[in-house]
Amino acid sequence: MKESPAEIVREYGPFPGVERVNGVTYDGASVWFASGGQLNALDPASGAMTRSIEVAAHAGTAFDGQHLFQIAEDRIQKIDPQTGQVLATIPAPGGGGDSGLAWAEGSLWVGQYRSRKIHQVDPGTGAILRTIESNRFVTGVTWVDGELWHATWEGDESELRHVDPGTGEVLERLEMPAGVNVSGLESDGGDRFFCGGGGTGKVRAVRRPKWQE
Amino acid sequence: MDSLITAAARALAAGDPLGALKRVALRDDAPALALRGIAMAQLGEFARAKMLLRSAARAFGPREAVARARCAVAEAEVALVSRDLGWPAKALEAARTTLEAHGDRLNSAYARYLAIRRLLLIGHLKEAERGLAELDPSLFPAPLRATHELAVAGVAMRRLRTQSARDALDRAEEAARQAKIPALMAEVESAARLLQTPAARLIASGEERLLLLEEVEAVLASRALVVDACRLVVRDRGTVVPLARRPVLFALARTLGEAWPGDVPRDVLLTRAFGARLADESHRARLRVEIGRLRRALRGMAVVSATKRGFALAPSRAGEIVVLAQPVEDEHAGVLAFLMDGESWSSSALALALGTSQRTVQRALDSLAAAGKVQWVGRGRARRWMTPPVPGFTTILLLPTLLPVD
Repeated sequence: MKESPAEIVREYGPFPGVERVNGVTYDGASVWFASGGQLNALDPASGAMTRSIEVAAHAGTAFDGQHLFQIAEDRIQKIDPQTGQVLATIPAPGGGGDSGLAWAEGSLWVGQYRSRKIHQVDPGTGAILRTIESNRFVTGVTWVDGELWHATWEGDESELRHVDPGTGEVLERLEMPAGVNVSGLESDGGDRFFCGGGGTGKVRAVRRPKWQE
Repeated sequence: MDSLITAAARALAAGDPLGALKRVALRDDAPALALRGIAMAQLGEFARAKMLLRSAARAFGPREAVARARCAVAEAEVALVSRDLGWPAKALEAARTTLEAHGDRLNSAYARYLAIRRLLLIGHLKEAERGLAELDPSLFPAPLRATHELAVAGVAMRRLRTQSARDALDRAEEAARQAKIPALMAEVESAARLLQTPAARLIASGEERLLLLEEVEAVLASRALVVDACRLVVRDRGTVVPLARRPVLFALARTLGEAWPGDVPRDVLLTRAFGARLADESHRARLRVEIGRLRRALRGMAVVSATKRGFALAPSRAGEIVVLAQPVEDEHAGVLAFLMDGESWSSSALALALGTSQRTVQRALDSLAAAGKVQWVGRGRARRWMTPPVPGFTTILLLPTLLPVD
């Protein structure tokens, strides 16, 4: 297993009216983050908040190329990013104990915070297809280049962990500096992760190291 | 933090404890227990709240020291508001240290304010003042600033410094308005009302009138010789002669003070001091002895001289003599006088000080409490008695700012 300190390359926010960041996703242009009562779009180049959608947004956020998915209470909402309309909802697998959300290969991946689990869920029905166990609290979840990463936040300690999707084995860990916590997690598909900063109301960009065998 | 916890915490912060409970009622994980505890506290279910917060603290893992400390602070606040002083101050201090060590500056300050409010509650004014002096309210958000100023006002009122109390209350009002917490605004309002409520009665030159706290302060600061029946002392500028343990001497001083500049007939003095209906020779002898004692006690302050029909009091240095009494005279004036020092008393200490039985004191305290003239804190042997609330006795919970989840 490889261990290294996380390299924070940029910090966004805090933003006016945003007390905390619950989930983060990326639609190829904007970083979307959930702040309780709304979803906000952030331009990662300028750092400006460009628009927001009024929708309950209590935990993870994901983007499937067309729709936004957002956990609220014990449900996952499917949202049209153009209109802000909630098109459908499915039950969240953790019954409200859910934290992170990611989209990959036709499935939703949902972190269950204190149960230390990641569920693969059918986005149409909410049925659980598979469950991966972690040994740490799971906050954000993301897939990039066939790698499954999740953020953990337990007490004061936060890390980004690359785990084997089959066994849950930890392959690589990026340790966040002491006191810097990660709520949501999303990759930009390249060499950056976007991390929600929990109660600080910030979003941080962290460099993704190249995985070398 | 997970989805439902976030949703419940938002409901709590928005003043909707039932909404919060609805979301986490069936969950027994640590953050859910903590939120349920806080919601219960806001609903006034203090015993249940305490239990839930304690279970939450236990349920948080070893890595979650901050969350556990926040639960301890919340539990301390619930105890304070429910007037249960049996809670361990040490646990609060330990929680505060943990919060500070983890950089949770706000909640660590919050813990310090709780400790100060407790000191004020149990009448440890000096320690409360010391604690307040160490904190700079300008560094804190509005609810904590209001809490700070209420405590400052509380100390000032107990110390009869009305201008400082008023200034602190003005600042508290401003901060409470910024905090937009209705209960906090109401708290400041009720504290301010104390300054508009008669605090004593002045008897001077045969006339009586009610005094506000600031007028009491003015009388005590004046050049008059004050026979203070609220505190059972005679004072003359800087000098204070305590007579609480000498009720006969005080009764004589007060009777003579009320009559000033006139004199008082012997039989009136006998009635007031001894309750004697018919004065015989032995009573007259005893009166002479007690007058001699009063003379010695007030030496340098006042002169007691014999007149044709009795005795008269005359100030030595002061220009006049006034008597300060309770707004409404009470048969338990002796007990009240001790409590007027602003400290908290156990009933056994009061019995000792008054030289009477604990049972008598207890009866007096019970009837005073029933009339709202005294207030108690704590249970059983730890019960302490004091005069009615002053600010800093805060009855509201500020828990929403202190959610034990991140």
